[in-house]
Amino acid sequence: MSLSLSRHLPKDRESFSTLAVLVAFVGLFLVFATQADAFLTLGNLRNVLVNNVVLLAIVALGVTFVVSSGGIDLSVGVSVDMASLVFVSALAAGVAAPLGLAAGLGAALLVGLLNAILIARLKISPFLATLGVLFIGQSVQRLATGGGQPIYLVTKDYAEIFNAISRSSLLGVPTPVWVLILCVLATWLALHRMGFGRQVQAIGARPGVAWYSGIRVPSRLTQVYILAAVLAGITGILLSATVRSYVPMSGNAFLLDAIGATFIGTTISRERRPSILGTLLGVALLAMVKNGLLLIGWNFYWQQVGIGVLVFAVLALSFGLQRRH
Amino acid sequence: MSGLAIDMTGISKAFGPVKALVDADLRVARGTIHGLVGQNGAGKSTIIKVLAGILKPDSGRITINGTRVESLTPASVERLGVHFIHQERLLVPTATVAEAVFLNYELRFGPFLRPGAMKRRAEELIRTHFGLELPGDTLVRDLTTAQQKIVQITRALAQEAKVLVLDEPTAALVKREVDSLFAVLRNLRAQGIAVIFISHYMQEIEDLCDEVTVMRNGTDVGVVRPGETSIDEIVSMMIARDVGEMFPRRSHALGAPVLRVEGLSQAGHFRNVSFEVRAGEVLGITGLLGSGVKELVECLFGLEQPDAGSVTIDGEVRRFANPGRAVQGRMALVPEDRRAHGVATDMSVRDNITIASLDRYMTRGFVSRARENEAVDGFIRELSIKTPHRDQLVRNLSGGNQQKVALAKWLSCQSRVYVLDEPTVAVDVGAKVEIYTLLNRLAAEGAAILFLSSDLLEIAGFCDRALVVYRGTLNGEFAGETLDSDLLLAAASGARAQRKEA
Repeated sequence: MSLSLSRHLPKDRESFSTLAVLVAFVGLFLVFATQADAFLTLGNLRNVLVNNVVLLAIVALGVTFVVSSGGIDLSVGVSVDMASLVFVSALAAGVAAPLGLAAGLGAALLVGLLNAILIARLKISPFLATLGVLFIGQSVQRLATGGGQPIYLVTKDYAEIFNAISRSSLLGVPTPVWVLILCVLATWLALHRMGFGRQVQAIGARPGVAWYSGIRVPSRLTQVYILAAVLAGITGILLSATVRSYVPMSGNAFLLDAIGATFIGTTISRERRPSILGTLLGVALLAMVKNGLLLIGWNFYWQQVGIGVLVFAVLALSFGLQRRH
Repeated sequence: MSGLAIDMTGISKAFGPVKALVDADLRVARGTIHGLVGQNGAGKSTIIKVLAGILKPDSGRITINGTRVESLTPASVERLGVHFIHQERLLVPTATVAEAVFLNYELRFGPFLRPGAMKRRAEELIRTHFGLELPGDTLVRDLTTAQQKIVQITRALAQEAKVLVLDEPTAALVKREVDSLFAVLRNLRAQGIAVIFISHYMQEIEDLCDEVTVMRNGTDVGVVRPGETSIDEIVSMMIARDVGEMFPRRSHALGAPVLRVEGLSQAGHFRNVSFEVRAGEVLGITGLLGSGVKELVECLFGLEQPDAGSVTIDGEVRRFANPGRAVQGRMALVPEDRRAHGVATDMSVRDNITIASLDRYMTRGFVSRARENEAVDGFIRELSIKTPHRDQLVRNLSGGNQQKVALAKWLSCQSRVYVLDEPTVAVDVGAKVEIYTLLNRLAAEGAAILFLSSDLLEIAGFCDRALVVYRGTLNGEFAGETLDSDLLLAAASGARAQRKEA
């Protein structure tokens, strides 16, 4: 009977940690709902979901795989930008939309491939490799745009394409949200229900054990970095369509938030392991705090302070609950 | 003032429902070497962690050098002169010897460090205590395991340790290094220092210790003097039953050759190695450090590539470009470094067992948890892996049970050839016998087993046949009457090749 009791223990512990993030989430939600009139309106929530959550979440899903594999990707912003740059430039040059879209995702894929070669083949540490790609990517953008000029496609010719991507909806659900749902479903299956995800987690847990267990570590890592880049590329396309332009270096805004969301998400698992659900919670928390603080009237700089405090609070709460248990 | 350096009385410690220590005592007199033995899980590490201030006991009294201490922290313990040489606590790899010796106790002149003085003092300490010339600016990562141990002990000596606790200090040392370590410990004893020595090697306990505390099920079941009590009696106390046969017998007939190695060579490591392992056979292989036997094993499993020669499994020539191919070829390797290569300690028992064979648990492209759980529960029962449940992190298992998980990983693959590299190192006696029994069953089911060990008694006692590698070539094959640890040792040290006498 003690056996059956202990068998239930880890689940309890997990839910205790999950509780930390949920408590923070619900608590802040209530604070914002009572303090800012505009917060709890359908328009605002929809706006946060479509414009903040979707874009960040898709990037963060990719980062979740990278962190699971024991690495880090500082170049996801570059993947966002490259997809956006190529997509917008292709449209501007009169290329058909589907082709431009494919080219944009292809550009992101190349960024991932470059990371993969540096990390999986040349064995450069993920931090340094992706930092290098970040620098190169930023320079490439400046060179390609005459020092960082945005490319605006505001004429009517492009409105149809952009609207089809960012403003349309299916069954009352905006297309970007559908894209997110598909991405979540696919990545959840890949990370939590397929051999791929288990192997990636083994690499992250102990690369030597993974290698000695017959896992092809280099090819798995290659797939992970390409996946992260392509997911970031999807955000790049959605972003271009939303702002109807390519703005150099705009992808960087996602970098730290995506990494932050992933790590906030690790607090919900007993092993402090990244998970799709955890990352989504992390993204939702960050997006809500930013929006809420804005509506309460904090200025941009204080928002950053608020997010910093939030991260500490979630971690402290989660560790505290776990220790007590 | 009593003559006790350490007096721990009535120590209890529970983790939730698990009682790790129950009213345990540990008393160590000054100027003695005190052995601490017990199976994994008997409470050895827990009582040492209590002494180290890492764990807080639920109850009990601790007196160090006559001073009653109420609450211990790792720092306060060191101030009381108790130093620990942990099995796994590693030194900073990029530090120099001098930096490692004086870590946290740097010699200073005002606010400034005195690197020159620390280097000279470290070299002097190592010279006087170990008779060894080790330049103080050598990097820790360039040292052998034995030298790293020496640096750790030197650090304790530099702080004028009164009590030195060594946890499995000999696990990674060769015989000569063990001998010099023992000489150092005896020397320290003569200086009045108390040494607590934890080891699974009973022979070492008998050779070295003045007194031995035997632990079982979280408490001390006796304090004995090795001169008056035999090893067998000590082991019986540890496991509370007669040891019976250490090496269980096999009675099945051998089948056709499964693994055949012909003319395998790798420049600089080994050359022209040929042998075969038949179905149901346990072939021992041994060699001293640097003999090339490790590289041989790495080549078999695809971790390294041979320059010449061939490997045949079940009549089919195989060349493994990487471990992944070897696993597909139904070869298994239980590596020596369990924590780096054998099990992922931060993953669950289940995830570790199935990681190499996920495709066996697939349903329509997805891993079927149900099938996985069923299989894993089967292995946990079959191998009597002591874990509360399959989701337990492997980190929380004892060494022997971790090794069983490492083995279960390959059982789950239904491997054909098992290569085992020092599978019973840092595994307690009870679990050792279980591992032998399990290997016997695998052999009876037709697996071919290549058993690499530097424990020659184990090779002689457990294997059907044994090969000795000396400086990269096979130096003799032993079976039947000639399968004897003395003859193996002679061959491993380069005595002229022996002929097999079946």
